[in-house]
Amino acid sequence: MRTHSIRNQPGLWCICLLLFLSLPTVSHAIPAFARQYQTSCATCHSDFPKLNDFGKAFKDAGFKFPVDDETFLKIPPVLLGAPAQKEQFPRAIWPGVIPGMPPIGLRMNTFFQKTAGNRGNFGSLVPAGTVPPFIPKTDFSTGLFSIFTAGNFGSDIAFWVDSDFNVGGDNAAGGLGDGYLKFVNIGRLLKMKKDALSLRIGRFELDLPFSQARNINISGYDIFDQANIGAQNPAFNQKNVNNQFTMADAMNGIEFSGGHSYGGYHYSIAFADQNTSGISQSSNSSDFVPSPAGFASDSNFKDIYARFSYRFNLERDRASRNAVQAAGASGPRDHTFVNLGTYYFYGRSVQRFSGENLIGEPVVLTAREPFYRVGGDFSVNYRALNIYGLFMYGHDNDQVPVDVTGTVVPLPLDPAEPTATGFIHGAPATFTGGFVQADYLVHPWLMAILRWDAVNSGEDRINGLAGAAPVPFRSTRNRVTPGVQFLIHANIKASFEYQFRPQQTVTVVTNPITGLPTAIQPFRTNTAVAALEWVF
Amino acid sequence: MMKMKYVFAASLVALMTAQASMAGSIKGKVSPGKSVVYLEAATTIPSTSDKPATMDQKGLRFEPHVLVVQVGTTVDFLNSDKVQHNVFWPSISGDKKKTHNMGTWPQGQRKAFKFADPGVVTLLCNVHPEMSGFIVVSPTPYFAETDVDGAYTIANVPDGQYTVNAWHEGKKLQSKKITVSGVTSADFTLQ
Repeated sequence: MRTHSIRNQPGLWCICLLLFLSLPTVSHAIPAFARQYQTSCATCHSDFPKLNDFGKAFKDAGFKFPVDDETFLKIPPVLLGAPAQKEQFPRAIWPGVIPGMPPIGLRMNTFFQKTAGNRGNFGSLVPAGTVPPFIPKTDFSTGLFSIFTAGNFGSDIAFWVDSDFNVGGDNAAGGLGDGYLKFVNIGRLLKMKKDALSLRIGRFELDLPFSQARNINISGYDIFDQANIGAQNPAFNQKNVNNQFTMADAMNGIEFSGGHSYGGYHYSIAFADQNTSGISQSSNSSDFVPSPAGFASDSNFKDIYARFSYRFNLERDRASRNAVQAAGASGPRDHTFVNLGTYYFYGRSVQRFSGENLIGEPVVLTAREPFYRVGGDFSVNYRALNIYGLFMYGHDNDQVPVDVTGTVVPLPLDPAEPTATGFIHGAPATFTGGFVQADYLVHPWLMAILRWDAVNSGEDRINGLAGAAPVPFRSTRNRVTPGVQFLIHANIKASFEYQFRPQQTVTVVTNPITGLPTAIQPFRTNTAVAALEWVF
Repeated sequence: MMKMKYVFAASLVALMTAQASMAGSIKGKVSPGKSVVYLEAATTIPSTSDKPATMDQKGLRFEPHVLVVQVGTTVDFLNSDKVQHNVFWPSISGDKKKTHNMGTWPQGQRKAFKFADPGVVTLLCNVHPEMSGFIVVSPTPYFAETDVDGAYTIANVPDGQYTVNAWHEGKKLQSKKITVSGVTSADFTLQ
């Protein structure tokens, strides 16, 4: 299909490199479980961190074997109280356990990247006198060094914490990923059906149809990284939308969930803070309420995320259909299934302005702009072939500042312009996108991948015409990514992916409005990436 | 008639005594310990017993880890775990044509297989790659498992020529030709 190799395309590496280095792909397998149960990673993963059906059941059960967990533990847990102490309750602490060994796993990865030959073409887009960034043709790159720990404290209370020590070789760039407690099957206290209700509290990735934090690809799904920044180009009607939220963000909050991910229904409803300013908690403080820890959110409104899915296992034999794994002719295997789901996220992003009230006194105006993300997803599995995909529609209301007469105040605010006193609805900022991916497990150690990502954002296109470092006009994201992954051992993986973006000729003209050079037929950069990852 | 019975009984006792005097034994030591020693004769001697042996899967392990049976023995494969298991072997003593997959069966049930070919059978589970077990199918009824120090004795071996094999997991099978006459010794150091 493709007739020119990246060797013959000297151009596209820098943007891809920057994109790549900013990719938040974090994949986790849990060697701590392998140690505790003295079982292989392959018990739960088909190509780590992708979970097989047993791994899904293990996770659903609160990081335990779904049945008779204690008989499989090779390292007995430490009792924090004799089970008989339950009889003493409330005059004794309810007995729990901690893992018999620190359930710690470590992870490291490293990358090599080669960018297509036209990587330097972006240099022609910067204003005269500006030194463009240098884009190397090839580049070795350190990835993440991370710690993660997870397990079960007894009483069906599961825990998970993961944190990146170093990112890209810089130990200041790491951070906490997820950190939560999950109270599994608390519905039993309400006499609900088993696993009908669980509660998760802390910091976690939303219950996305397909995890961004724990997916097998080297690069994350573009749609999950998509923020929604309204049009900023003064040549167009500017929008007061600056929503940094992406679906890949870890959220702080609580989540109710139920059902199973290996068959039947599954739902979740989460209520979470949102840091719409896009800055870290420690940087987000207040002069009036000083706090060294800062505030995690600048939105009092709790964002809501809901998801529902149903998985139809298609084995003819009813017993096999309802089991964690299907019974195959040559041994247990993942089910043949069709999974259909939908999700909805509703939040409010915050914009603050210096303005005045109706009697002319200076005040801080706050626009809480409702936004939502909605979509559907599917996953079809037949033996070793898994095809899945997702569609998303993003919509942010635009609260445009107006002056005391109700006239729209142009953005950005200018002292020469009338002062804002309030907001009215403008045209919403929207985008659509998604992905489709096929994973084929050729051998237990060999996974072939083909994936298509697309994001369509009119706002991004408009913004591409502005700025000191303009980006191509059609800079929406669109790529086909074939890949292959090899398990050298069950805990060591070599991955290769080629990010193929349809190439276009670069033609630079001067934008008559801004006077800046603008690409009207931009290229897209092709990138080949190799990764080595190991967990232990 | 009574006289004939006495003659027959006396002849039988004499024959058995003679037979016993012709039966020897093999003793020796194998390094490392917990190895398996078995004899090959000129012809294979299948088991005539209907009693099956059992290989269990319990706690994500094969139990016993090593099972020694005579050729012709039926082995019952059992799953005592509340997770699904599988049993297959990629070869018998390296002969990949003898690969076999036992498939899937529910917890508590058994699946039987009669081992008609001698050799070492490496048992694997395609769901839990860390699991392994071994069935050593001896071509004769003359076999033994050594103790932890490697000592073994195979008794009641008729005098004659044999090949004595010593096997241990992860070590190369060693064979020696011996002539059994009375108490014979054979030591091995497996590499």
